[in-house]
Amino acid sequence: MNKRRCLLTFICISVLLLVLMAWNTFMGSIGIPFERALSIVFGSVQDGTDYNIIINIRMPRVLSAVFLGGGLALSGYLLQTFFANPIVGPFVLGISSGAKLAVALSLIFLLERGIHLNAAGLVLSAFAGAMLAMAFVLAVSVKVKNMSILVICGIMTGYICSAITDLIVTFADDSNIVNLHNWSMGSLSGMDWQDVKIMAAIITVCLIVSVLMIKPVGAYRLGESYAKTMGVNITLLRVMLILLSSLLAACVTAFAGPVSFVGIAVPHLIGGLTKTSSPKIMIPGAFLGGAVITLFCDGIARTVFAPTEVSISSVTAVLLVPVVIVMMVKRRGANSN
Amino acid sequence: MTENRLETKNITIGYESDLIREISLSLTAGRIVTLIGPNGCGKTTLLKTVCGLLREREGVICLNGQDIHAMRSKEAARELSIVTTASVRPERMTCREIIETGRYPYTGVMGILDDTDKAAVIKAIEMTDTAEVADREFGMISDGQKQRVLLARAICQEPKVLILDEPTSYLDIRYKLDILNRIRKLAKEENMAVLLSLHELEIARELSDTVVAIGNGKIRKIGTPKEVFTESFIRELFGIKEKEADLLGQKPWMGTDPSAGVKDPVRKHGGSHTDSLLISEENMGAEQTSGVRVLMVQGTMSNAGKSLLSAGLCRIFTQDGYRVAPFKAQNMALNSYITADGLEMGRAQVVQAECCKREPQSCMNPVLLKPFSDRGSQVIVNGKVVGNMNAAEYFAYKKELIPEIKNAFDTLAQTSDLIVVEGAGSPVELNLLDNDIVNMGLAKLLNAKVILAGDIDRGGIFAQLIGTLDLFGEEDRDRVIGLIVNKFRGDQALFEKGRTILAEKSGKKVLGVVPYLDIHIDDEDSLTDQFHNRTVAPFDIAVIRLPHISNFTDFNVFSQLSGVSVRYVTSVETLEDPDIVIIPGSKNTIGDLQWLKGNGFVEAIRNLQKENRVIFGICGGYQMLGRKISDPFETEGPGKCEETGLALLPVDTVLEQEKTRTVFSGSIENASGVLSGLCGLNVEGYEIHMGKTTPYDGADPFTDHGTGYCSGNVYGTYIHGFFDRKEILTGFIRAVCAQRGKTIDTGSVQDMRDFKEQQYDLLASELRKHLDIGAIYDMLGIKRRASKISRFEEAVQSCDPDADQNAGNADQITGNAGEDIR
Repeated sequence: MNKRRCLLTFICISVLLLVLMAWNTFMGSIGIPFERALSIVFGSVQDGTDYNIIINIRMPRVLSAVFLGGGLALSGYLLQTFFANPIVGPFVLGISSGAKLAVALSLIFLLERGIHLNAAGLVLSAFAGAMLAMAFVLAVSVKVKNMSILVICGIMTGYICSAITDLIVTFADDSNIVNLHNWSMGSLSGMDWQDVKIMAAIITVCLIVSVLMIKPVGAYRLGESYAKTMGVNITLLRVMLILLSSLLAACVTAFAGPVSFVGIAVPHLIGGLTKTSSPKIMIPGAFLGGAVITLFCDGIARTVFAPTEVSISSVTAVLLVPVVIVMMVKRRGANSN
Repeated sequence: MTENRLETKNITIGYESDLIREISLSLTAGRIVTLIGPNGCGKTTLLKTVCGLLREREGVICLNGQDIHAMRSKEAARELSIVTTASVRPERMTCREIIETGRYPYTGVMGILDDTDKAAVIKAIEMTDTAEVADREFGMISDGQKQRVLLARAICQEPKVLILDEPTSYLDIRYKLDILNRIRKLAKEENMAVLLSLHELEIARELSDTVVAIGNGKIRKIGTPKEVFTESFIRELFGIKEKEADLLGQKPWMGTDPSAGVKDPVRKHGGSHTDSLLISEENMGAEQTSGVRVLMVQGTMSNAGKSLLSAGLCRIFTQDGYRVAPFKAQNMALNSYITADGLEMGRAQVVQAECCKREPQSCMNPVLLKPFSDRGSQVIVNGKVVGNMNAAEYFAYKKELIPEIKNAFDTLAQTSDLIVVEGAGSPVELNLLDNDIVNMGLAKLLNAKVILAGDIDRGGIFAQLIGTLDLFGEEDRDRVIGLIVNKFRGDQALFEKGRTILAEKSGKKVLGVVPYLDIHIDDEDSLTDQFHNRTVAPFDIAVIRLPHISNFTDFNVFSQLSGVSVRYVTSVETLEDPDIVIIPGSKNTIGDLQWLKGNGFVEAIRNLQKENRVIFGICGGYQMLGRKISDPFETEGPGKCEETGLALLPVDTVLEQEKTRTVFSGSIENASGVLSGLCGLNVEGYEIHMGKTTPYDGADPFTDHGTGYCSGNVYGTYIHGFFDRKEILTGFIRAVCAQRGKTIDTGSVQDMRDFKEQQYDLLASELRKHLDIGAIYDMLGIKRRASKISRFEEAVQSCDPDADQNAGNADQITGNAGEDIR
């Protein structure tokens, strides 16, 4: 572990994060002059449409991109640790889709009865869906030790969940469709401060617990046998990994819908930059990296075809799939040596 | 330093089902215990269980006296660490990081290393010489270096018990030695208790203090490397056939068979790379002087007295405090014995085993031939019937028996200092020498010293001994260490000249002239002198001498009674007027029954029965006393499907394919006739027969479990050794005496066991008188302590029956290097 390299990476990522936060705040389909925007952010201007756009639309969106992106990447890292496999992530394993299905079901079911589900309720139902999908994947992983098959099963699960979600959307009331359609494609639009507070609370707790798990996760890298004989409580560690990664993925899905490939690609990018797999670096690194990537992708989704907004998953897929492919090819090459 | 670090108390391991049962091991500080065994035998599973990764199915594992599962995992981790075969492929992890994880049980919540931890890491790196790779990525270094790093990690955990699963797999020879030397150092210098599994047997042999051999779902053997690494055991453990091993070349575990003495050319010359590097002073040479000595007794002809001489020598060596075992590769005999395991073996080796004061085992006589006709024999290998063969078939089959014989011998050798091997027939039957497994061929195989005995009673002693020597090849002749003139009658002084001539002509030492001994012990086979007894004593027992008589040792017990004659009767004319008629067992029951009928015995026996005389059938004889014997499976040869019996007992017998071989223990119940007074007495013996006998209504069983029936004074039983117990014998003779109005003194009667012991000691003391036992010891390379010799000889002189107990432990057997022919 090269400490200088890690430090440098962290500095770069942090700077990048600040820059992207600023960019996302100041750029948008509505052009707001820079000076005015700056004075709005620093509180010297307190009213007007511009104020509303920046404070109540763009800033919650930026913050949710930071938290959700970070949470998603962290979820991916924890899953990769759990399965000792770098090509898994919440989306690939179908966990995000499971959460999506559960959210869609509960939204429509409750809306038809005139009940509007609040953010916490959304997270809860997403968590239930995520856990169901996770349970299925775990059942498969117990049966088949082959990681490729596990991933294929995850993707299949994702498709099934998406298909059912589509079906529900097709037969849902018109009034629900627009909202639901956007959401089911993955979008960070429409976040308010209430949402941000809830997701920040959940994800911060998850982040803190993850940091406390740095020691056992580090030992777990040597495999279960070694970890156990070193005194790691394997059962507790595994349960925690599952709960945390599912909760993180569920939280993201509940607010933003399924966002693809951040979970799988970001830990790898961070590992590649820092050249270590130590959880001391990886846990904060993945979080910050996820935030940066998600901010960047959201910015693109909002601005490139403005005023039309692209789904964030389209952007993350286009940008991150090549990363995943390069990683797999490299690994294959490394293994054959 | 014998503190018990890790102990398994009778554990059973496995995943879904039991893989290995009843494992009791203990690891002590500073000792290295190695598991060996074929792939899949459960070594890794055992290691996983022992270190708590897998739950044992039964039993308890104690780490420092505490149940390992009751310990907190961090506490256990401070006591025990592992190096597994599971491939460790962490990405982007440096070797130092891997080693540092060993401090896990010592660090706080965040795993930050303090100064102690850092010092431990540095020490572990130093001990394994991993400094140069410490900051490289683990995935980038060689397998050998990886293994060092993993060892460093385990050391860093500062355990008291170190467990390693095949630590040398995939490593080249240099790293193998490197890793193993480090492990040895850890045990010796850091006083760790080490448990590891290894596939390289030669390394296991050098490295281990204790070797645990696993196979077939159990612990096959636990012992020092020397005890475990015998060629035949290793071959059997791994299922290596004779030819397959060629590829390996000479391995240290080959040719370590004790019969070869102590030599191991590979080790002596440091020929094996592995060995020469690994062996340190403590392993070199120190224990090289033991090993089994093999003495073979051959005779110039059948019945030259080999069995008796062997038995006597067995007793002598046993008295002198050695662990002795008898061995005869192949026996042709009608008499057989059933071991405690239900296996069949020749009686002669049973007698010899008794002389050695040990339980008879079928490995003392791996091949037994029981002739059932002039041309065919039943072939029994390792105590189990293989089938019936004629001479030609057997001759072709014989070659395959060599490994069996060798295995049997090796089994014996593990628990013996000295083995007395008996030859068979003449060793120079020149037309039969190919694939010889009984005489010189065997002597060569076992590297035995040979004594040649001739029978002077039958004349031509010079021709016998010198002629036999002349017919040996040179190598065989050199094996002969001395000659014995056996069965000498009369004044030995008259033969002094003969001794000198023998010594001169043969160039061999004449070890002694043994007189014709009147010793009552079980005879080897039908060729025995007691058959020729014609004298009728006041109390007369007539045993019908069937052409295929078997197990006639049942009647030796009568010979201790004076005034009682046992005659073997071949014709009705010589039947006379016996007090008891016995029909013995037979190898060919239907054939012998026909012989009985053809020679008028049926009438004669029926007449005696009308006079209420006691008629006793044993085994085959019992079957003949019944109404009929049928042989639906033609076990006794084709064409004789059914034969009517003497019809003196209301029973029928069907000969079956499966042989019954059991040891019997029961009592006499409800006997009719003269035996009625014996009811309630215990009977011990054994059964060995092919037939199943069923009674008609009204038949009275007189021994338990339907083994015997009686009607009036006619008795039939399957139990051999029926008369061996003192109470039975005296009760029986007294009852018959009372019936016949005779008196016989039964006061001197002993249990057969005591009687035999007495006879064996008598035999030994006779042989000591007439043979130069000291010379035999010398030629075997055994140096005896003078004090012990004199003490024992005094004991012999005073005929102290407990002499053997005074003899103490085995004398030191000294090395005899340079004579190994192998």
